[in-house]
Amino acid sequence: MSAETTFKSVQDMEPAAQEGLRRAILSLADGKRLMGIRYSDWLLGAPSIETGIAASSMAQDEWGHARLLYAVLKDFGMDPAVVEHERRADQYANPDALDAPLDDWAAVVVACVVVDGALSVALEGFSEGVYAPTRSRVPKMLAEETFHHDLGVAWFRKLAAGSEQGRSRLREAALSMLASTLAWLTPGDEVGEAQAGAGLVPEGAILRLRFAERYGELLSLVDIDVGAVEPDREGWDPERGRGPGCPDEEAVARARGDLNRMLFVE
Amino acid sequence: MEESLYDVFARKERGEPLRHVGYLNALDDEMARIYAWKTYDEERWFEMCVIPRSAIIPVNRTDGPFASKGSLQ
Repeated sequence: MSAETTFKSVQDMEPAAQEGLRRAILSLADGKRLMGIRYSDWLLGAPSIETGIAASSMAQDEWGHARLLYAVLKDFGMDPAVVEHERRADQYANPDALDAPLDDWAAVVVACVVVDGALSVALEGFSEGVYAPTRSRVPKMLAEETFHHDLGVAWFRKLAAGSEQGRSRLREAALSMLASTLAWLTPGDEVGEAQAGAGLVPEGAILRLRFAERYGELLSLVDIDVGAVEPDREGWDPERGRGPGCPDEEAVARARGDLNRMLFVE
Repeated sequence: MEESLYDVFARKERGEPLRHVGYLNALDDEMARIYAWKTYDEERWFEMCVIPRSAIIPVNRTDGPFASKGSLQ
C-alpha cells in the first residue's frame, strides 16, 4: 500500500493492523506519560536552575503529547478517560527503562537520549504511516522533541568528556536501558509485523537503523557499539509490546492522577 | 565544570528590534541555546538569540547592566 493512501479512521483497517496500531499508540502514550514523570522527578534536583526549568518544560511536553495520543484511542472504541485514569500498573505499556525512578543525573541524561530518543524515532514513524490522525498530530510534537534531543546530547557529551566516574555512570545507565528499549522500539512479534505490513509505521529494521544513525556516535563516546546491542525480548508481553515488568505503583498513581482526583467534589 | 553568564534577546515579529528578555547561566553555548528556549518560552518568538555576557563590550560606561563579565552581580 502506498503511503499516499491514508486511513481517516481505524475502522477501515484489517483487524490485525488495528490491533498493532492500538498497541503502538498506547505504548507511545504510556511512554510519554512515564517519561514526563521521570523528568518531573528532577525539577528540583537538576544540576542548575536552568536545567530544572528545562526538565519542567520537557515534563510538560511529554504529558501534552501523551494526552493527545490517548485521545486518538477513541477511534479504537476506547474511552481515553478510562485509559488515563483507571488502569493498573501491569497494564502500562511504556518502555521498561521507565519502570523505576532514575537514580542520578547521568541516568536522566541517558534516559533523555536512549528512551526519549526511541520514543521520538517511533513517533516519527507515525508521521510517515498511513493513519491520518497520528500523522497530523506528530509534527508539532517532533518540533518540541528537538529540544529534548539537543539537551540530552549536550549533557551526554559534557559528562562523557568529564571525569572517569561520569563516563562510567553514563555507560552503566546506557547499558541498563538499551536492550529493553530497542526491543520496545522494534517489536518483532506478530502484532508489530502486522502494523508494519499495513504501512502504519516503518519496519523495525528501519527504526533500529534510524536510532543507530542518531545516537550511535554519541554512545560510542562511552564505548558502546549500539549496532552490537541485542534487543532483550525475554519474557516478552505481546499484549503490551514490552517486557514482563511494570512501572512502580507510586509513578502509576501519579500517572493516573489519583491524588488530584481525590480532591474532586461531586 | 564552570558556568558562564549569557544574555537572551528576542523579537516577536520580523522587523521589530531585538529586546533583552533575560539572562541565564550555562556550561557552554549549546546549553545556553537550549535553556534560553526552554526558559523564555512564554511568548511565540519570531527570533531569539543568546550572547555570552563576556562578548559584550561596553561603549560609553563601565558600570552599566551589561558591564559585568560572566558572573552575576
